[in-house]
Amino acid sequence: MSEVFEGYERQYCELSANLSRKCSSAGLLPPGEQKQQKVSEIKASLDDADVLIRKMDLEARSLQPSAKAALLAKLREYKSDLNKLKREFKRIASSNADQASREDLLESGMAGAHMASADQRERMAMSVERLNQSSDKIMESRRTMLETEEIGASILQDLHQQRETLLHSHQKLHGVDDAIDKSKKVLTAMSRRMTKNKWIIFSIIGALVVSIIFILFYKFSHH
Amino acid sequence: MGDQIARAEEFEKKAEKKLNGWGLFGSKYEDAADLFDKAANSFKLAKSWDKAGSTYVKLATCHLKLESKHEAAQAYVDSAHCYKKTSVNEAISCLEQAVNLFCEIGRLSMAARYLKEIAELYESEQNIEQSIVYFEKSADLFQNEEVTTSANQCKQKVAQFAAQLEQYQKSIVIYEEIARQSLNNNLLKYGVKGHLLNAGICQLCKGDVVAITNALERYQELDPTFSGTREYRFLADIAAAIDEEDVVKFTDVVKEFDSMTPLDSWKTTLLLRVKEKLKAKELEEDDLT
Repeated sequence: MSEVFEGYERQYCELSANLSRKCSSAGLLPPGEQKQQKVSEIKASLDDADVLIRKMDLEARSLQPSAKAALLAKLREYKSDLNKLKREFKRIASSNADQASREDLLESGMAGAHMASADQRERMAMSVERLNQSSDKIMESRRTMLETEEIGASILQDLHQQRETLLHSHQKLHGVDDAIDKSKKVLTAMSRRMTKNKWIIFSIIGALVVSIIFILFYKFSHH
Repeated sequence: MGDQIARAEEFEKKAEKKLNGWGLFGSKYEDAADLFDKAANSFKLAKSWDKAGSTYVKLATCHLKLESKHEAAQAYVDSAHCYKKTSVNEAISCLEQAVNLFCEIGRLSMAARYLKEIAELYESEQNIEQSIVYFEKSADLFQNEEVTTSANQCKQKVAQFAAQLEQYQKSIVIYEEIARQSLNNNLLKYGVKGHLLNAGICQLCKGDVVAITNALERYQELDPTFSGTREYRFLADIAAAIDEEDVVKFTDVVKEFDSMTPLDSWKTTLLLRVKEKLKAKELEEDDLT
């Protein structure tokens, strides 16, 4: 079982050597992208080292108490080593961070004002835009209203014309009514005359027929 | 369609024969008229407008012989409608004959209506003077028959054309008259400001600044609500611009008014004339100074 532990131990040693190397090289670098890269690498390796140490811890505790003590001692050494490395790393990162935060501080001194004014300008532009939009809408609605008014006026004119037409046709209808009455009278007069003529003709025919019969009668009676 | 023409020709031939031959009991004109009517109908269906028109004219002559002027006039009107599609002049002559007949019969309102149609035909031919003459005649007849709206419409057209022909005084008088009449009428009073605006524009074209201000006051008296309207402000602003002889201000005022209610072509032409005059006066002033 201690083989596992030894295996972990060996890995840890490699890792720590690596880390110390990286830390020293990163410390020498000027702040910049490369450094950031190195810093992130170191962080990753530190995490790995942490994991290893935890595993070793577990291993050590699962072992028998005799080996346990020795292994735990070794583990303590490794942990302190790791802590030193971490401190180193923090120093490097913080020197980085210092720069970064200093830059941040100085920058935000001016950019704060810039950003504030840009923000305000944006807001003003938006409100101006909205005002323009609403005034456009008002103009549009006014235009529509005027158009509607015009249409209304022309409809009223048409109505007026139709009213006059209706009144005229009303009058004409009265006239037609009178004319119909007159024509009715004329027609009745005509029909009366017609019947009168018919009776006259019938009576004349009747008289002629009667006279013919009389003549014939006399002729035959005198024979 | 071809057989329509054939049928029509047949009818026409039969009718001609009837006319030329002897008819029993003198009913030949009636039969001929009947046949002519059918013939003309078939020609109309066959879309040969010329032949249809001429047939209708023959029909009219038959009716005249039969002393039924009303029918004759109606036939002339039909022929005019057919001729409208081909030759406008023929149509106009037919309509004139119809109008004369209607006047003789005493149907003045129909006469007036057809006079208006003649005037519109002239208008479509851009013959504006004749158009004015006929619109005036029809306006008179409408006035006699108390058909005020149609009379007003005809008079409006007269005023419009008169203004186009630069007879500004005439059109001013007409527009003011129409406005005065419309005020009394509940239905028409919303159109008054339009008429006053037209009258105002004609005043501007005349170019007499004092007259314009007097006129604006007069309109104010006529119609108390006029001063509140945009039209009044428009006219007042233009009058001020002319007074100051400022072309830029003039253009601004016109543009503002146009953005609200688009100006029609008649108003645009007249306002353009005013602007030209203004520019000319401005140049003149510059020359003198």
